[in-house]
Amino acid sequence: MDGNMDSEAFVRVDRLVKSYGTHRALDGVSFGVGQGHTLALLGPSGCGKTTMLRCIAGLERPDSGTIEIGGQVVFDAARGVDLPAEERQLGIVFQSYAVWPHMTVAENVGFPLRVRRVPKADVTTRVARMLEIVGLGHAAGKSATQLSGGQQQRVALARALIHEPRLVLFDEALSNLDAALREQMRMELKVLQNKLGFTAIYVTHDQSEAFGLAEWLVVMNGGRVETEGRPRQVFQRPATPFIARFLGLNVVEAEMIGRAGEIAEIRLPQGARLRGILGDGPAPATGSRVLACIRKEHVRLGQESGLAPLEAELRASSFLGLTEEYVLDLGGVELRAVQPPSGGVPGDRVAIAIRPEECVVLPA
Amino acid sequence: MAGSVSSAKVERQIVAAVPQAQVPRRFLGLQRGLPAAGVFAGLLLVAGPLLATVIRSLLVWEGTDAHPSLANFSRVLSDPRFWEAIGNTAICGAGATVLSCVLGFSLAWLVARTDMPGRGWLEVGNLIPFFLSPYVGAISWIYLMAPGSGLLQGFFLRHLGIDLSFINIYSLGGVVWVLTLFYTPYVYLFVMSPLRQMDAALEDAARVHGASFWYTLRHVSIPLVSPALLSGALVVFITSAGLFDVPLALAQPSGIRTMPTEIFAAVQYPSDFGRAASFGVMVLGVTILLTMAQRRYLARRRFEIVTGKGYRPRVLPLGRSGKVAALLLEAIYIGGAVVLPTAALLMVSLSRLWTGRFDWAKASLANFEYVLFNFELTQGAVVNSLILALVGATLGVILAVLQAYYLNRGNPRRRGMADAVLSLPLGIPGIILGLGFLILAIRTPLYGTLTIVLIAYVARFFPFATRTVSAMFMAINPELEQSARASGASWGQSMRWVLLPLLRPAVTAAWLMLFVIFIRELGATILLYAQGTETISVALVLLSDRSSGYVAALAVVQLVLLLLAFAMFRLTRTSITQA
Repeated sequence: MDGNMDSEAFVRVDRLVKSYGTHRALDGVSFGVGQGHTLALLGPSGCGKTTMLRCIAGLERPDSGTIEIGGQVVFDAARGVDLPAEERQLGIVFQSYAVWPHMTVAENVGFPLRVRRVPKADVTTRVARMLEIVGLGHAAGKSATQLSGGQQQRVALARALIHEPRLVLFDEALSNLDAALREQMRMELKVLQNKLGFTAIYVTHDQSEAFGLAEWLVVMNGGRVETEGRPRQVFQRPATPFIARFLGLNVVEAEMIGRAGEIAEIRLPQGARLRGILGDGPAPATGSRVLACIRKEHVRLGQESGLAPLEAELRASSFLGLTEEYVLDLGGVELRAVQPPSGGVPGDRVAIAIRPEECVVLPA
Repeated sequence: MAGSVSSAKVERQIVAAVPQAQVPRRFLGLQRGLPAAGVFAGLLLVAGPLLATVIRSLLVWEGTDAHPSLANFSRVLSDPRFWEAIGNTAICGAGATVLSCVLGFSLAWLVARTDMPGRGWLEVGNLIPFFLSPYVGAISWIYLMAPGSGLLQGFFLRHLGIDLSFINIYSLGGVVWVLTLFYTPYVYLFVMSPLRQMDAALEDAARVHGASFWYTLRHVSIPLVSPALLSGALVVFITSAGLFDVPLALAQPSGIRTMPTEIFAAVQYPSDFGRAASFGVMVLGVTILLTMAQRRYLARRRFEIVTGKGYRPRVLPLGRSGKVAALLLEAIYIGGAVVLPTAALLMVSLSRLWTGRFDWAKASLANFEYVLFNFELTQGAVVNSLILALVGATLGVILAVLQAYYLNRGNPRRRGMADAVLSLPLGIPGIILGLGFLILAIRTPLYGTLTIVLIAYVARFFPFATRTVSAMFMAINPELEQSARASGASWGQSMRWVLLPLLRPAVTAAWLMLFVIFIRELGATILLYAQGTETISVALVLLSDRSSGYVAALAVVQLVLLLLAFAMFRLTRTSITQA
């Protein structure tokens, strides 16, 4: 099912605006996510993604717009509806984990049940079961401060899930973990979500985290939605130059010289010609400035049959193990390539090839 | 198929219908309103008496008509007694400040940076005077050093053959001495943590590059702690100069005028409130200026605090003679501030008739029996003091929590203002705030009640509690409360289960601090008490020219209460540095 089917959206955000003084943190943000699905808000720091999450949670009061959760309007500026955080029935995992240091692990996890006046015996069994699920069955009686970062993260996760909320929010929840632990948590989160069936919204600045977790991606920039779509689609066909740069692609200025259907022909500043697929939207006119966006992995070293080779100079290389990153000079344009190690040294002239389907042409 | 609408869809439609019917905004009221109310109450408590004092100082009565005039000020300013009092108070304040700085820094340095024997015990011992009553301290020093009849004087004369009668405790010197004993812990507390946390590399670098020990101390160590030392010095100057207790006991008897005793005298029969108020306004001006200067200075210096990282400072081996000298200094300080006064109090309180010599054979508990069971004044005083301290500390702490919430979580633009106004009373002498409440209450039914005394106590001292709680608040990540809210807790529940438990050490410290202060308060009480609302400290003043035995016994009772609070500090493991 499409994560963005608006009519069926479980969480729906509509034209949300939030200002701090003169600064517009959110500038008319709209998106939706279907029940049981996962959405990631991705963007550089300061793009408004955390503000967005806090607005959904009810921790921040937007200036205008509406937020709907499970068909219930939780915020509507026009009608003066603003449900406090505690009545929105959700779970949240903060970047700082916010595990209460004065409570034991079990008390932390049981808190949402306690405020809901669930009978004590029930709380005990449910907490034990949840701690088992997150792999902390042995730590129930420990003080929360005795735990490692990864364990605290699990406590925060268990606490966010124990009352079986329909919606769970994650604010950079994996960023503080080391790489191996993060990978493991990411897989576990997916398993948990399948098991418990909650809807999840992640906020992250880390693209691999977003791609790995989300079915639907909303990329934010300067308080607005830059683009949204399935991770594969966002990644393979960057919709705007901003996204291409944010995802670490090569973005090269060029001139449009012709087109055949989906395929555009462009000329780089030093004269070399290149073909690439046109992005969505109206095609740029011939002679206008365009931007070619190419992933580092798609700048191939060596000749390819059917493609006119481009000649570049190798400026620097950095050995990464399975791959090697190269800085290439293509007639004054800097290109970066990540390829299997070839043993080239700075100063070498090398041939490079860029396939048309791996180069996206966008209006400048 | 019209009939096969899924149950999920029906459910969703029902849920969607609910919020349109009502607009739920109930909890926002409590969350915003309660902390703001705490701040507002604080502002009223500060502004009320101060405005009353200012207005009264500008009014002159003719018959039954009051009209605005500067006559009060011109009368006071042209009165040589005013200048005499101000001069004496400046001498007392400056003397006590300099001596407290020297003594406080030395003691802190010995505890923090040397291998002085018994550091662990002495570290706590040096703080005991912080909890004791300066008025009782002054009385004890009269017992010890009164010309002719002093215990210490007698001891020196009989056993060492030294005649100390040239030392007159009823003098500015006596005032400075007792003030120093009681204000040294303030400086000690201020400089202790920079001395402890100072990066050893800063001093080591000086030594490696050729500086001697003393040179390093003078040019590196002391400058590094100077921000803390200076702010400690300002606190000591403002509070010691404004203290009524010690000049009352030691300066008044020999006719030496000081600022607090002059204000007190002006409201005694035949009272001259115009004089007292204009006197108070001028003192207020000076203290507010000094407090503001201190705030500005600290704001500028805040980020220069010695780095917390790095190695712990090295402990300096003192050597044999160094250790002897260090212990001697400790003996003089703790002996002078705690041991000798307490011993003198006990001796006097156990003697039926005090003659300047203690006789074990005639020791009796008669004074205690009388003070605690047979004398209405002292019995009432103990009860009143306990009521005031218990209720006042509780009210002060409630106010402090609300204000700290506002100062840390409230509207960011109004916080700075609120903080500045709410910390004003820190620099205002108790007697001046007492005067303000006296002016406010004198024609109302509140006059002569315990309530007005209670209000004055809370007004004068809530900022101590607010600061304590606020400092701890600052270290609490707002996400800790927010995750409680997101978990389904209301604002009240998140306060009760998350915030208050996290703040408990600071709240306990603040409560004990206020309890201690209220048990011994004199400056504000002396202006506001009436028959039936005397406190322990007031009763001590009233009895001081009747019977030293009763005074000493009552002082011992107060001492026991204060030491109990001190023990609670240790038992609850709260740190005084939090207060």
